[in-house]
This record gives sequence, C-alpha cells and structure tokens, in this order.
Amino acid sequence: MLSYVVRRLLQGAFVILFVIIFSFSLSYLQPHGALAPAYILCGTHQTTACLNEYINQFGLNKPYFVRLWDYLFGVVVHFNLGHSYKQNQSVGQILSIFIPRTFWIAFVSLVLAVVISLPIGVYQAWKRNSVFDYTATGILFVMYAMPAFVLGFLLLSAFSFHTLHLPNSPPEGLHPWAMFTDPVSFILPIATLTALSIAGLSRFMRSSVLDVLVQDYIRTARAKGCSPRRVLFRHTMRNALAPIVIIIGLSIPALLSGALIVEEVFNYQGLGYETVQASLNQDVPIILGITIVVTILTVLGNLLADLGLVVINPRVRIEGSVR
Amino acid sequence: MSPEERDHESAKDRYIDQASERFEQSEEYFGSSTERSEEIGYEAIDEYGVNELHKFGSVADPRVAATGMVGVRMHDVDMLSTDDFEDIGTKGMDLPSEGEGDKPMALWRQMLRIYLSNKLAVTSTIVLLLIVLGCFIGPHFYVTNQTDANAALFQPQNLPPSAGHPLGTDSQGWDILGRIMYAGQYSLTLGLFAGLITIFLGTAYGMVAGFFGGVLDAGMMRLLDALLSIPYLFLLIALISVFGNTTTFLILVIGLTGWWGNARIIRGDALLIRDLEYSQAARSMGAGRLHIIRKHVFPNSISNIVTVGTFSVADAILALSALGFLGLGIQTPATDWGTMLTGGVDQLINGYWWEVYPVTAVFVIVIVCINYIGDALRDIFEVRLRER
Repeated sequence: MLSYVVRRLLQGAFVILFVIIFSFSLSYLQPHGALAPAYILCGTHQTTACLNEYINQFGLNKPYFVRLWDYLFGVVVHFNLGHSYKQNQSVGQILSIFIPRTFWIAFVSLVLAVVISLPIGVYQAWKRNSVFDYTATGILFVMYAMPAFVLGFLLLSAFSFHTLHLPNSPPEGLHPWAMFTDPVSFILPIATLTALSIAGLSRFMRSSVLDVLVQDYIRTARAKGCSPRRVLFRHTMRNALAPIVIIIGLSIPALLSGALIVEEVFNYQGLGYETVQASLNQDVPIILGITIVVTILTVLGNLLADLGLVVINPRVRIEGSVR
Repeated sequence: MSPEERDHESAKDRYIDQASERFEQSEEYFGSSTERSEEIGYEAIDEYGVNELHKFGSVADPRVAATGMVGVRMHDVDMLSTDDFEDIGTKGMDLPSEGEGDKPMALWRQMLRIYLSNKLAVTSTIVLLLIVLGCFIGPHFYVTNQTDANAALFQPQNLPPSAGHPLGTDSQGWDILGRIMYAGQYSLTLGLFAGLITIFLGTAYGMVAGFFGGVLDAGMMRLLDALLSIPYLFLLIALISVFGNTTTFLILVIGLTGWWGNARIIRGDALLIRDLEYSQAARSMGAGRLHIIRKHVFPNSISNIVTVGTFSVADAILALSALGFLGLGIQTPATDWGTMLTGGVDQLINGYWWEVYPVTAVFVIVIVCINYIGDALRDIFEVRLRER
C-alpha cells in the first residue's frame, strides 16, 4: 500500500513538472518568441532602446535552458510564477485571490453533482432499458450537447429575469468568503456548474454499475436468494463505488473548464474569468501560471481520489495496484 | 461456414432468446417476493429447494448467458459496459436472422443491416444529413446577406419572426435563418476537420504505444496522464492567445488538444489485439511489425477508431462554441453557432427568444444526433451482434 501511495505521489510530481516545462516552452511559440514580453511591454513605441531595456531586465536573451531552469527553480522553490505584463502584481499575488474563489464553487458543485448523479446512474443501470433509463439517457444527452454558457443563460433567464428573481451574479469584490456571506447569489452559478457535471458523471455511474451487474458474484448472490435490494446495496454498490471514486478524480479537469465558462457567464472573478481577461490582454505569464496552478489542483484531486480508493478497495491495499 | 454449423449457431441464438425471456419472467416473479426474501436472506436456498432456485439463478443476466453460450471472449462483455457512453443496444434491434442456405452476407451488408435496424440511429442520420444539406445548400435558395456587416446594420434590428425574416433578425441586423446556415458551415467544417485531426493523432499515438509496449508504452502513457490533467479549456485559451485565432489555427488547436482521450482508448485496443492469436500467428510466420499493425491491429481496432472519431467531432463543435462564447472563436462577419449564440443570449433579458432558441435547437440536435450515431456505430462493430 505504501509503495502504491509513493508511486502515485511520484507520478503526480512528474505531471506537475511536465506541465511547468510544457507551459514555459509554449511561451516561446508566441510572436517574437522569447522576446515577446519586451515587445508587449513596449507596446506601440517599440524602439530598440525600450526593447533592450526589458530584454536586459528580464534576461530574455539568455539561452532556453538557462531560462527554463530559472523558471522551474522559481516555481518549485519560491512559488514564483513570474510577473504580470499588464497588472503591476506578481502572478502569485493575483492567483492567491482567485484560487479560493474558484475552489468554492467547483467544490460545492462537485459534491452536489455526485449526490444527484449517483442515484440517477445507479437506478438507470438497475432498471436498464426501462422507460426511466431511456428518458434519463435522452435528457442527459441533451444536457451534454448544450453549450455550457447557453445552459447558464437559460437558467439565468428562467430564474433571474422571469421568475424567482434570484441574483444574477455573485457580489462584486474579491472576498474569498463571499460564498458564505451571500449564499443566495451563488445558487445559479453553482446550479449551472452542477448541471454540467451531472450528464457525464451519471453516465459513468450507470456503466460502472452495469459492469458489476454482469459479474459472477452478483449471479451467485441472486442464486442464493438475496433480495434485489440486498443485491443492489450490499453486492453491487460496494463494488461499483471504486471506479466511481476514480471517475470523480478524473472529472476534475472538466469541472474546472466548466467553472471557467460559468465564471464568465455570471461575472464571477475566479481563475477562469482571470484567464479569459489575461488572454484578451495577451498577459501570457498569468495564463501560464493559471494553467500550472489548475493542473496542480487537478493532480491533487486525483491523488485524493486514489487515496480514497485505497480506503475503499481492499484489493488496492493488498496488491498495491488497481486491476 | 457449413450448414450444420449455421444450424448450430441459430440454435444457440434461439436458446439465448429463450434464456433472456426466462430471465425477465424470473425477475417479475422475483419482484413479488421481495419482502419475503429480504427477511430470509441466504436461507432461501433451503426454503425454496432446487426448482425455485433454478428460477432465480439459472440465467442471472442474458448477457452473461450469451457470453457463456456463444463463447465470445469475456473482453467483449467488458467492452460492452466499461465505456462511458455505452448502451447494451440490443433491445429494439432486430438481430439478423439466419438466411436459409444463401451465401454468407458481405460484412458491410451485415453492418448496414444492423445500422438500419436501429431506428434511433437512422433518424439521427437523416436529421443530421438534412441539417448539413440545409447549411451548405440552403443559402443558395434562401439568399441573405451574411458577409457585409455595414449593409446588415441598415436592416431592421432585433426584428421578431415575420414573413420577410422567418426567424427574425439579430442585434446586428443579420437575418437569423440565413445566419444559422452560414454559421453552421463554419461549425460543421471546423468540427469535422478538428475531429479528423484528433482521431488521426489519437490513433497514431495509441497504436505506437500499445503495439510496442514496454518502456515506450509506459513513457508515452505517463506523458498522456500529464496532458490529460491539464484542464482542456485553459490550455485551449493559452494556445489560442499564443497562436491567434484564424480558422486554420482554430482547427489545429482544437485538434491538437483533443486527441488524448482517443489515444488512450486506441492504445488499449492495440495492446489487446497485439497479443491475440491471429497477430501471434502472423508474427510466427515472419510478418514485420508494420505489416501486423497494418493488416491486423488497425483493421481490428477500426470499430473504436470510428466510434471515438464520431464523438470527437461532436466534442470539437462544442469546444468551438465555448471559444466563440469567450470571444476567441471565429471573428465577425464570419461566425459559428457558438459565437452566434453568444450574441443571442445577451438579448434574453429583453425577451428576444428568436435569437437564442432556434440556434440552440439546431446545435443541440446536431450534437445529440452525432452522439447517437456514434452509439449505433459501436453496436455495428460489436462482433457479438453480427451474423457469423
């Protein structure tokens, strides 16, 4: 078990390292390549003097590997993700404001999505090819096919403009605890993000339960005369839970992508909102910093899921591997 | 296949049908005695005796029965249920019955027959074809100005549906029906090409990793893990703000970021097929690696390639719409459904429903149709359902 945990930790570290190198190399691909920051900062008056000043200040003309090493060292040792081109702040400072804000809506939505989609998926699998199964599949397909922002705006239109008159946006200001001081204004963003996750999650849960239902031990349980309820809760659910935990871990990147759209729809300043602003401003350090941070969050989420799996599934504890 | 063998096979088929019927009956029976068996639990064996037990457990699941009878590899059952958008897909589908004494059917005809017997898939195909034709041929019959933004501004704006404009006009004065067709050309073309790129890259990467295995496979898979944990949309934005958003780059960027999941599925296939008997036989007869990939691994994983490719096109169209919403998609006066919707949803507060619902409907129908077609394609390739 310990070796499994250590291996997962090492893999996570590798993934983070890779993403940092990848993101850094990406910045070489923009127009003017490595010198791009100087060109962007000088803006319209791109005189040689101005360019040289920035090139020397940031050491832009150093070789690729030297700069990569500096960047890596900065990120890993000092958590220094660079300096924003357009805002007079370090990327770290900017992110420290936005990470908790995105974390809250993503976390609450994920919990809600799991709580809602688990029974749907399980019941679909249990009564597969029934009217309920087909109806749910149809609705989930439509939800999956709807662009995230349209879903958000439709909810906004229905529950904010026309009925109920819920607040159409979380409060302005960057207070990370806004979620708790003004929970009503978070209903619509969180509902949207939850709805986005439900389609995929319940589909996964359905197939996970289906997987278990064809196993020999389920047949044995039925043969021994277990009631359907006992078969479902004792034999099926327990075994179907392990893949579901992995799937929750794997759905985190999609969740964060959804959060990006939701933040944009509801004007909620979080990581996604900031990414879009930065990309419109060509503020590459912020984009790269956010990509790295978001990946780290994902890797951590996956690690948690894997550790949860160790707790749930004795096979992992004993054999030290999944499957 | 000799006639005897075929008789044997059809006898098996009949047996499976009966078995699944019996299973359904037993479940009805089972349902009525729920409360009783709840109380007695495991002791049911003694109480009910052998005959009753037979009713409960003879065929726990038709699929398991089918597997046991026909001798299909367990892997097929796994494939049947592990996939994320997967359905058993046999219900409501006429399993082709055995022909009497005529020639074995060509493979593609068998496939076509299974496909045509899936009503949902046929409907989806027809609807999708109609929409595609409408987008590309429609503008020749329903001529509207979709390229001159200045001329459009002289048109009445936010006009409700009327005789002159069947679906009204939007806030920029574009005729919405014409705009849907025009935007559809971009969405569908970009989605198709980006989807093709993802499936090409995914296949190539997955084949190499799965076929060669070992250290190479391990390394390539770790790399894939790393890529898969980058949230898609963030990377897409990063790439587009670096590369710019011309049509070509949009296709490339969506294509370059969409293939990771595909690679994983194809790699699983390649890994499996590489070790099957026919590949080993070919290897033992001295076939080269390239030959085995070309003649055995690739043709036998074509089912997943096509299926996954279908879903990729839908995903690419969705990704493009998300970019359109963020203002990073196709730039005006050209447009795609996502960009168009972005303009429309802003008008929802004014109640200009015609700027949102028609586009949303077309968009959702296209994606749902593509996904249903993908589901049906998977059924087609499912060996178990095919006539042998």
